[in-house]
Amino acid sequence: MAGSAVITEHSLGDILEESDAREVRRSRGPRRPPLLLQLLRPEPMFWQLFSAGGFVAALLLPITVAVLLIEAASAPSEALSYERITRLADHLLAKLYLLALISLPLFHWAHRFRYTVHHQFGVHGLKGLVAVLCYGTAIAGGALTVLVLLGI
Amino acid sequence: MRTEAPRRYPTYAPKVPRTWWLRTAPFRRFAAREFTAVFAAAFSIILLLFLFALSRGQEAYEGFLRWLGLPAVVVLLAIILVALLYHAGTWFRLSAHILGRREASRGAVIATLVAIWIAVSALAAWVYVAL
Repeated sequence: MAGSAVITEHSLGDILEESDAREVRRSRGPRRPPLLLQLLRPEPMFWQLFSAGGFVAALLLPITVAVLLIEAASAPSEALSYERITRLADHLLAKLYLLALISLPLFHWAHRFRYTVHHQFGVHGLKGLVAVLCYGTAIAGGALTVLVLLGI
Repeated sequence: MRTEAPRRYPTYAPKVPRTWWLRTAPFRRFAAREFTAVFAAAFSIILLLFLFALSRGQEAYEGFLRWLGLPAVVVLLAIILVALLYHAGTWFRLSAHILGRREASRGAVIATLVAIWIAVSALAAWVYVAL
């Protein structure tokens, strides 16, 4: 594909010579694919999910664990009663919140655990297999969450 | 089958022991930070089981709450909480290292994130317990 574009006007780099030209000429490096295709490539996509999961795990999970811990350790209270939780979980926004709360930390885990396998467990091959297993687990967990949420 | 061509020059391949990440305190902190993700995933699975029990009706849900009250599960939740707080601290520090100095000082980034953390936690606690 390189060289097929028709240059309609000369740039300064075409007129100057040698090193001067190299300084100002437009880069003729490999053309990037369109933005949408760039965004859909697996590595940046999984990195975005990893990052989002990191923020969910940092901002939302500690208070969630703390509330559940206090409720679990103390006598049964009204807060976790079946009627109240079914009423709360009935809302679409609550379902979307729960989906984010469960699936994004799974993607966060997948990305970090993938490198833990290589760095800490000392597995230096099988990079593709480890990646597929980790991200696949997270995708399966997200799909399972959607199924369970639809059943409530 | 491809035969290995003889190397024209020696390559330097340092031997790293399997337990390199236990050797110094910063390495251990790095390994601990990475391992907090396992506890985050464990809590995701507990939440998934919570919702699954909820979808199976009142009896299954109350059985799950009884399981949640077992001393071993309470201890597990406490460990998860400590791991997640460590994750939050290191995550905010990482964010400050990425954003800091270019947009604002690192201290300012961490202070903002902690303020957001407190506000979000208070809002979430209110929704969980009182809404």
